Amino acid sequence: MKLETLFLFLIALSIISYYIAMRRAIMSVDSQQSISKLHSMPTYHGYYAVICSFVPPMIIIFLWLVFEQRVISTLLISNFSNIKVLSQGEINLFLTNVQNTLYSNLFSQDGTRFQSEIQQATIILKSYQSISRIILSVFAIAVSIIGIITVHRKINQNYRARNKFENAVSKLLMTSSLVAIFTTIGIVLSVLFESFRFFNEVSFWDFIFGTEWSPQTALRDDQVGSSGSFGILPLFVGTILITIIAMLVAGPIGLMTAIYLGQYASPRFRNIAKPLLEVLAGIPTVVYGFFAALTLAPFLRTWGESVGLNVASESALAAGMVMGIMIIPLISSLSDDAINAVPIAMSEGALGLGSTESEVIKKVVLPAALPGIVGGFLLAISRAIGETMIVVMAAGLSANLTVNPLEAVTTVTVQIVTLLVGDQEFDSAKTLAAFALGLVLFIVTLGLNVFGLYIVRKYREQYE
Amino acid sequence: MLRKSLLYMSLFLYCLFYGGFANSQASRDYISIVGSSTVYPFTTVAAERYGRSTNFKTPKVESTGSGGGLKLFCGGIGAQHPDITNSSRAIKDSEIRLCAENGISEIIEVKIGYDGIVLSNSLEAKSFNLTLKEIFLALAKNIPDASGKIISNPYQKWNEINPKLPDQAIEIMGPPPTSGTRDAFVELAMEGGCKAFSSIRDLKNSNGDRYKSICHGIREDGAFIEAGENDNLIIQKLETNPNALGIFGYSFLDQNNDKVKGTLVDSVEPTFENIAEGSYPISRPLYFYVKKAHVGVIPGLKEFLREFTSERAWGEDGYLSDRGLIPMPDEERFMVGEAVNSLTAM
Amino acid sequence: MSKKNLSLSTQQKVRKSLSSRYKKETLFQYFGLSSLSVGIIFLVIFFYSVLSQGFSAFTQTYISLKVDFSDNLVVKNNKIDSIDSNFDAIIRSALRERFPEVNNRRDRRELYKLISIGAVYQLIDHLDMSPGDVGSREILSFPTSSDVDMYVKGNIDRKLDESKRTISNNQMMWIDELVEKGEIKMKFNSALFSNGDSREPELAGIYSALKGSFLMLFITLIVSFPVGIAAAIYLEEFAPKNKISDLIEVNINNLAAVPSIVFGLLGLAVFINWFGIPRSSPLVGGLVLSLLTLPVIIISSRAAITAIPPSIKEAALGVGASHMQVVAHHILPLAFPGMLTGAIIGMSRALGESAPLLMIGMVAFIVDIPSVITDPSSALPVQIYLWADSPERAFAERTSAAIIILLGFLLTMNLLAIYLRKKFERKW
Repeated sequence: MKLETLFLFLIALSIISYYIAMRRAIMSVDSQQSISKLHSMPTYHGYYAVICSFVPPMIIIFLWLVFEQRVISTLLISNFSNIKVLSQGEINLFLTNVQNTLYSNLFSQDGTRFQSEIQQATIILKSYQSISRIILSVFAIAVSIIGIITVHRKINQNYRARNKFENAVSKLLMTSSLVAIFTTIGIVLSVLFESFRFFNEVSFWDFIFGTEWSPQTALRDDQVGSSGSFGILPLFVGTILITIIAMLVAGPIGLMTAIYLGQYASPRFRNIAKPLLEVLAGIPTVVYGFFAALTLAPFLRTWGESVGLNVASESALAAGMVMGIMIIPLISSLSDDAINAVPIAMSEGALGLGSTESEVIKKVVLPAALPGIVGGFLLAISRAIGETMIVVMAAGLSANLTVNPLEAVTTVTVQIVTLLVGDQEFDSAKTLAAFALGLVLFIVTLGLNVFGLYIVRKYREQYE
Repeated sequence: MLRKSLLYMSLFLYCLFYGGFANSQASRDYISIVGSSTVYPFTTVAAERYGRSTNFKTPKVESTGSGGGLKLFCGGIGAQHPDITNSSRAIKDSEIRLCAENGISEIIEVKIGYDGIVLSNSLEAKSFNLTLKEIFLALAKNIPDASGKIISNPYQKWNEINPKLPDQAIEIMGPPPTSGTRDAFVELAMEGGCKAFSSIRDLKNSNGDRYKSICHGIREDGAFIEAGENDNLIIQKLETNPNALGIFGYSFLDQNNDKVKGTLVDSVEPTFENIAEGSYPISRPLYFYVKKAHVGVIPGLKEFLREFTSERAWGEDGYLSDRGLIPMPDEERFMVGEAVNSLTAM
Repeated sequence: MSKKNLSLSTQQKVRKSLSSRYKKETLFQYFGLSSLSVGIIFLVIFFYSVLSQGFSAFTQTYISLKVDFSDNLVVKNNKIDSIDSNFDAIIRSALRERFPEVNNRRDRRELYKLISIGAVYQLIDHLDMSPGDVGSREILSFPTSSDVDMYVKGNIDRKLDESKRTISNNQMMWIDELVEKGEIKMKFNSALFSNGDSREPELAGIYSALKGSFLMLFITLIVSFPVGIAAAIYLEEFAPKNKISDLIEVNINNLAAVPSIVFGLLGLAVFINWFGIPRSSPLVGGLVLSLLTLPVIIISSRAAITAIPPSIKEAALGVGASHMQVVAHHILPLAFPGMLTGAIIGMSRALGESAPLLMIGMVAFIVDIPSVITDPSSALPVQIYLWADSPERAFAERTSAAIIILLGFLLTMNLLAIYLRKKFERKW
């Protein structure tokens, strides 16, 4: 049975189980009139039956598919004594050959070893696969039917189907929220090991407190670097500088935009302006990068020259301003949510006492919405710190320890990209440095968010 | 509501199944190529012609950088690993060892031609004619002074190096240290200029490390600007800033003749002919590497090699030379082609 | 406070301060309006620059030639043998016929370069469609090479020295003649929408990237939207206030701030190396983007849930609904528009994201159109990144055109979402 067919079949089974369970529940009370005697409504019996008949076979199918390939390959190889003894890589090649022959009929004749084995293996593989699918289908359908029968037998007047169903759903909800934890664990694991190897080569304290970042040190055997320093301070100063510029642009503009759209703008205007603004959030960062590097930066440079300032062609200002523009919608949308969450009665009360609208906003709405707004700002800051493409194109790579926005600076993310996507050998301290940077960045954003959460928790107020 | 959402959920799951598992298979029927961004423009042209003129699928070409490409390439044999990696430098011993550890014992090396590295500036700016020594003096972190003592580079303007050069600040945009172009530039131009000083030349034998750190060290005081690996971006920045010079591959100069012009090095103009005959001093060979074990397993691999090494591709008038690849001399081309098509491993 | 002020009554004080308060009010309002304008003005400038650069890429120059199908074709079993037939020669002889005065070899080579190499494939397709044309003479129009296209569109300065142009003097002469006689015409560039990537600008299209993006977004949507909503509901409604819930909450906020390239590293380590999902496939891209989008959706969904007045929930609980029923019947439907907003922001972020795709092999040259989610594919922003890096001049306008298309895609998504949101929006 094909997978799609099996799947459709299982869906059909679960639909049938829904009606059977419902019917059984209704039948379990004496007559139609006394249906209120049931502990749970008939539909809940149905839903629970659906879960019991559908979820277990799905889990089985999933696990089966994960392991199927490996098991079949091992079985297949064990048939050929001369293949078994080969190295893992050669066995992989053999399997590739077999599969290519089976699926695409693109068997290239010349230069291939084990021609006859491949032909045999193709036939065996085909039969294994069909056997595997048959077993799977029978197994899955059997489990589904067992599920239906078990539930069906339990259904009676007092069966707590609703509680069971709700329990199952809340477990599902909890599992969903755990995805976030798994992601974090995955990220930590993917950067941690490489970072440890990096700190074996470079002292941790030199890394954290060093004031010079010079990955010109190519740590390849036959390449020579100048000064071997991996101090991340200049990178962080650069990152923070650009973030501050971005927030100076986006913070007031985003917040005021949210206030204007929420409180002053006519609904018609709002309906046009808000989605327009949201377009800003969707412009790809690559495009922003090009805009910053090729339109804004030269403009700032000529402007600087005309007033006698020396603006670097890759100034932090250009990157920061464009990044600020990019995060305006994020801030305005999150502030808007926070402002909307303030009960309308509060501002109406203040208006009733004779405040002007701006006074209401400044003295009532904003203080009440502050935790939410701060939360939005923190999210925007994290976003600015983690933004990659804009700074890659517009901020340059020179690691200057400066707070002058007119000079070129570099950021942590830029260094991660240049270190990872370049023409150098892997496993050198340089590549490993990228993982260490990633780890530090991860920890910094973590700290920032714990702090943000603390603020929100401490100052949050519940209305009504 | 609940009933509806259950229905939608099962529909979603169905789609996931249909697309995800029903058609997934561990085999691969197209060629997978990774590696250098410098070789990428040439490989893709060959891959496209090959894909259009044969019944095989068009190869997938990724731009991962030479180092990243070789790491993937040496990951092992089998369909999940790439078949070919491009490289703007020759494979290192350490990388051959890594490959061998993962069971890749036979690698076919294909040298495809040369690429010149040019120094360019805006058409509106004055033309430069630099010697390798002047390039070294403009870019090095440390230079020898008149008495041969090593001092940190004091030059801020071109005319301080040589009075004949224009009176303008030294401002050169180039690739970051992670780039193969940078590697090659440092080795060919900087080291070449560096050797012009007899005191340093002597150092080579007595203190190799010191020699390298002087000759390969690029200044970090702002005169050299690391401009990322996007060469088009460098060209656009050159247009807006006529005082600056940029370092990139010849193919970009070739395509942007109306915006930028090449700087003469040792009085030789970076033209196709000059690079091909070797009179232009800054040029490097380009390569790709093939896993011999994959030939005969991945469909069309051998045919792809034949296409790439055909005269209409890499020959004097081939379509790769249209893209700025400098072909090898006839004899060398013939030899490499023979070796490749008989699948001779390194 | 001076004594004079104290002597005034409250009413007088208010009246006195009224004008300055009104002034502040107006000022505040103008400040808000100008903030909004900054964003909108940027948008206008941005769109103007992109549109003006990219618009010309939607047309392409075509050249009309009279081709002779009587020669150079080999027919076997009533089918044209595409290996033995010399299609190149058909095109070349048609060009020679058009310009009989071109004799020497060098000039002829220049002449042949007027036409795209795609002409051959077009010829093959044409004969596949109408095999009856064999032996006859037909006037067909072929795409010109990108240099010709750039020249006709005025992007090549004809006053430059010949060596500095990609078009020679001879070619300029021929093109001018053809344009004058109407044999070179501008047509809609359908290749841009129907082809995959190509190194020949006139053959390059965004279809493979578009399809790749679409497949990835599809996966992202079906993975991150349900999971995100479920997680948000759990955290807001069911999670006990304990250490674990705190941990999850901090985690989610943190994930929203993790640089996207780190997600790429995760995808490489987990999905490709561990699960063995093929590199460069929309499946792995979509999964990485799902993880990237998930926190955004969770956070905004939670905000949408918190925005519902507790009174609604308490009323439902008061009449005896179970907690799950409250969620399913009241909270979810009321918060759904807000959740949708979050999903749009998340999706638009995913659509424009290119940094993590760098790590999982999506920065690739893909000519063939992906059909299932395990085929190698590219994505629209990555295609833009790749084209922006191509040396050929004609790719510059195509980069802008791809940006226009990407933005169009985005705009359509947003309009749909706005429509949905409008339909359900309410204020408490």
